[in-house]
Amino acid sequence: MAARIKHQLFFQHPPQAVWEYLTNAELMALWLMKSDFQPVVGHEFTFRSNPVPSFDWDGIIYCEVMEIVPFKKLSYSWRLGPGDGTINVDSMVKWELQPNDNGTELLLDHGDFAILKHMGIFDAMNAGWLQNMHKILNRLNEVNHGTTKA
Amino acid sequence: MAQPRLDAFQVIADPSRRQMLLLLSKDSLTINSLAENFDMSRPAVSKHIKILYGAGFIAIQDIGRERHCTLKQDGFNALHEWLNYFDQFWTAKLKNLENLLNNKLPN
Repeated sequence: MAARIKHQLFFQHPPQAVWEYLTNAELMALWLMKSDFQPVVGHEFTFRSNPVPSFDWDGIIYCEVMEIVPFKKLSYSWRLGPGDGTINVDSMVKWELQPNDNGTELLLDHGDFAILKHMGIFDAMNAGWLQNMHKILNRLNEVNHGTTKA
Repeated sequence: MAQPRLDAFQVIADPSRRQMLLLLSKDSLTINSLAENFDMSRPAVSKHIKILYGAGFIAIQDIGRERHCTLKQDGFNALHEWLNYFDQFWTAKLKNLENLLNNKLPN
């Protein structure tokens, strides 16, 4: 199991064009979520999604812009909770744009997860958890020990 | 800078702590009997146990003069499920972005 979520996409457009879609709130709403994002370090904003009560999540993502390097890098914190002012999940979203001959490689890295409080749905999902845990642990061990097949 | 803190992933990134979880997945153990499996000082074992406890991976119960560790599922489920959730979330959102940029913008 990867400790973070990573995605990479290629666009046949220059970084400036891709950057617009990552940093202009109107354009972000077209593919991501509604927000009051501003490309200013320290700016606090929210993304608005649909509430997921079974997840103890009010559908709001509380963010703060942590880093901006125009056309190259963008990162913001990514926190969620049940809507009573408390936060259950704390994480970090990082974007990186790399220009190449034909366009732009876009890299997403969503990590640094801190699970601050256990949510109802997870307590309800007991079935099979032990098997999953063994799978996770075995996979982690495989990764750490490398491929040592005789 | 944010102060460093151990999140659920960092907790299971450590081989000793993973070994502890594997041992506890077979049976609950006292801290002493758990420590016998490791070539490290008792304070070092205690530190790992404290980290596992803090992240919700294990429960600790005092029985007589012994402290018993039991596996808890909460820590695992939470990180596992959130990771799955947001992985699917980003897959869908990035698909939107791909469609948008490829269809609307001239190359």
